[in-house]
Amino acid sequence: MMTTITKSISLFAMLVFLSGCWDQVELEGRAYVVGLGMDKIDDETNQIRITFLISNPEFGSLAEGGGGDEPPQEIISFVANDMESAKDVANMVVAKQVTYDLLRVLFISEEFAKDPEFIRWMYDLTKSKEIRRDIRLVVSKEKASTFIQNINPLLESRPHEYFEKIFERLNATGIAPTSDLLKFFRITESDADLFLSIYGTSLQKNNSGSVQNPLNITAGEFQYEGMTSPIQFAGAAVFKEGKMIGTITTRETRLAYLLNPTLPIKDILTAYPDPFSEDHKLAIRVEKQGKVKTKMDLKKEVPSIDVSLPLAVEVLSNHSMVDYPKEAEKREQLKKHLDDEITKVFEDFIKKTQEEYGTEPFGWSLEARKHFRTLPEFEKFDWMKTYPNMDINVDISIRFSNFGRQGEVPKLEELRD
Amino acid sequence: MLKQFLQKTLKKIPTVPEESSTEEIDKKQSNLNASLKKNLDLFKEIYQYPLNTDIQFREFLLGNRKALLIFIDTITKTDIVEDHILTPLLASEDTNKKIEDSIPVKSIITKTVVKDILIEISKGYIALFIDGEEKAYLFSAPNFEGRNIEKSENETVVKGPKEAFNELSSTNISMIRKKIKSESLVVESSVISQRSNNDVYILYLSDVVNDKMLSNVRERLKKIEVDTVQTLGLLEQRIEERPKSIFPTILFTERPDRAASYIEDGYIVLLMDNSPASLVLPATFWSFYHSSEDHYLRFPYGNFTRMLRLLALFMTLFISAAYVAIVTYHAEMIPPDLLLAIAATREKVPFPAAVEVLMMELAFELIREAGLRVPSPIGPTIGIVGALILGQAAVQANIVSPIVVIVVALGGLSSFAIGDLSMNFAVRMSRFLLLLAASFFGIYGIAALFTVGIFYLVSIKSFGVPYLSPLTPKYVSSKDTIFRRLLQNEFFRPGYVKPKDIKKQ
Repeated sequence: MMTTITKSISLFAMLVFLSGCWDQVELEGRAYVVGLGMDKIDDETNQIRITFLISNPEFGSLAEGGGGDEPPQEIISFVANDMESAKDVANMVVAKQVTYDLLRVLFISEEFAKDPEFIRWMYDLTKSKEIRRDIRLVVSKEKASTFIQNINPLLESRPHEYFEKIFERLNATGIAPTSDLLKFFRITESDADLFLSIYGTSLQKNNSGSVQNPLNITAGEFQYEGMTSPIQFAGAAVFKEGKMIGTITTRETRLAYLLNPTLPIKDILTAYPDPFSEDHKLAIRVEKQGKVKTKMDLKKEVPSIDVSLPLAVEVLSNHSMVDYPKEAEKREQLKKHLDDEITKVFEDFIKKTQEEYGTEPFGWSLEARKHFRTLPEFEKFDWMKTYPNMDINVDISIRFSNFGRQGEVPKLEELRD
Repeated sequence: MLKQFLQKTLKKIPTVPEESSTEEIDKKQSNLNASLKKNLDLFKEIYQYPLNTDIQFREFLLGNRKALLIFIDTITKTDIVEDHILTPLLASEDTNKKIEDSIPVKSIITKTVVKDILIEISKGYIALFIDGEEKAYLFSAPNFEGRNIEKSENETVVKGPKEAFNELSSTNISMIRKKIKSESLVVESSVISQRSNNDVYILYLSDVVNDKMLSNVRERLKKIEVDTVQTLGLLEQRIEERPKSIFPTILFTERPDRAASYIEDGYIVLLMDNSPASLVLPATFWSFYHSSEDHYLRFPYGNFTRMLRLLALFMTLFISAAYVAIVTYHAEMIPPDLLLAIAATREKVPFPAAVEVLMMELAFELIREAGLRVPSPIGPTIGIVGALILGQAAVQANIVSPIVVIVVALGGLSSFAIGDLSMNFAVRMSRFLLLLAASFFGIYGIAALFTVGIFYLVSIKSFGVPYLSPLTPKYVSSKDTIFRRLLQNEFFRPGYVKPKDIKKQ
């Protein structure tokens, strides 16, 4: 005769043994993939080349019996059918169970991103339980496997740390967009906007002849020398309907940041021609003041969008030695000049999106949805089709915050007297 | 079957070859004899006179009648015997004068049954028998040895009274009377054991305490039918509702100020000789969670300590369980830097995380238990062994990872913030249960077990009072639960003890 207590105890004991948690693997039994590369092989086979960037936990650990001279990472590149089965395939070489728990970056070669089949592979990522939606998407100019093999930062030698830090800076400066997997799926599925992805390369373009404006380049065009990582990230890859269609420069990426109400940005350091001296450039810090206001009239025959963007500008260099704090007239002149310059840049970029891409990366379609009562109405409106013909005006209002820590400059003539 | 068999064997009184003492017990039930000689023989027989060395029989002549004094000289004030009893009696010429009138002792009672007289003598009374009288006069002169009032050691406070109960109930009652100067403070006494005649003192405020609860307590005390109940710790186990429960339902405190404040709120306090503490009943979860200092400190400081204690409570319960759960089942929850750090330290550790933590937890409990029992001259050894061998060397030998040492030490340290011994045990034991649940089912297991634990807490009652009241179920009270309110806003006595006077300011 069993009492209730014995019954429940034996039931509980059975629960423990039947619960099926025996497939769990201890932390140190796993190989943590931090970066995953995807390359196209050729058009015939339905396979891709997968590259794993596996982080070595013991690297740099000061704990008792730490890793010693082990390298920070392990890279393995092979042909696989998909990302999930690749985990098991990798075990022919890698000693531990491969997991995507720590996956932070997805590298895609430009060639693969431009392939119409690309989107099918992307949706494989939604199937895995381990892959989070906040991982970054990076398009590499060369093959992703080559790119990953060249990742060798000298200071932040642990790969996840390097990615975390550099993407944080890239986003804070607006040099490269915030491109996460969730945004990729959202924008692709809403079928209206452009998705911007981080663009990077390990190959420096060798055009030593011409001097580029470093504020208006894409990855590979930044010329630098020294002892550091060969990797550079600049500008963005443009995706339309889940397929890459081109790249934009760092300046254009920043413009997209400024116009996009959903993207956070603190301030941008940039340079514009000096109105009082043709030879010099004016370094300015541009700050978004409050929210971007987009006024849309979509019911008209030619729909129009009026964007008003309040900017606070700080002048940080003054090679023409104009005493802005004291000369109100010159200030007005400067303001007008900057207004014209920035508006022109914006207009050029918007024109480019209208003509070249057919839609915009500013997230305006989200705003536009509010002007329709139902989703079918919006779909009927067909943002992608109407956008190229829209009448778009950008109105910039500049407010000078200050002219550097010391506003005054000495008069050059007097100095050289 | 087995259970029934066990019950039978337990209830049956085993037959033993020794001589039965029932005859002697019967003798004690009888009344006194008028003949002093017979009484003397009876008492000498009961007390095994020449063998028993500290029992004194003093015979003398009171006028023309024989008289006899019986007392135990190790527990009575012998100068009272000489100066206040023998001297006036021997000097008195007038034989008709009543005994009560000639003896200057503060309390005189008379008894006729042998057993009752024996009880009083054991309490330090002096018995006077006079030939021809079928009663004994008993003069109070107890002189039990004991400690002085000392500082409280287990419930220390910085701001507040330092004195603690000691083993003499008269001192303990006096300390409570010192705090409650009221005529309605009742000190009721009752004998709860058959052979050792242990006294229990029931203290309450007659115009506040709920009568039903009081009679409930009296009844439970009456139900105890045992030969001896030496201390409050034993009494607690005799009167509690769920002896097998992991949670305590009676508060055990060594602080008179705490006991007094509970009495003032309508609770009942039990005191006993030989116990440097008091029992407060009924007790809720909050009485174990609170400390007297919470109210002595100013409002923000008191609540800060309460917050720390709450944090410590949860840390003790969950930290090692959460570590095991996250490391074994939910690695994706850990930020990359920490995950890699944990993985790196675990690289050369031979055991799974659950075993590792369990081992360290056991080691910690061992240090704690051993540290408690170790004779004080070799006490420091425990610290060296504990800290060095288990912390440093185990990590260096790659037996445990340093992170586990941190986790276990943090959990162990936090457990000390729960001052009450019983609740401390409850929390420490549930910690092991949670750890097991975590190693089998991860966070799901922790959450499930915690929920079951909460169900259980809600179901417990202490002398009819729900364990988590006034939080749930709700009662009129000063809402002194997780946090306390301003003293000015503590208007009511706790409604769940059903006091006769609910308003206290």
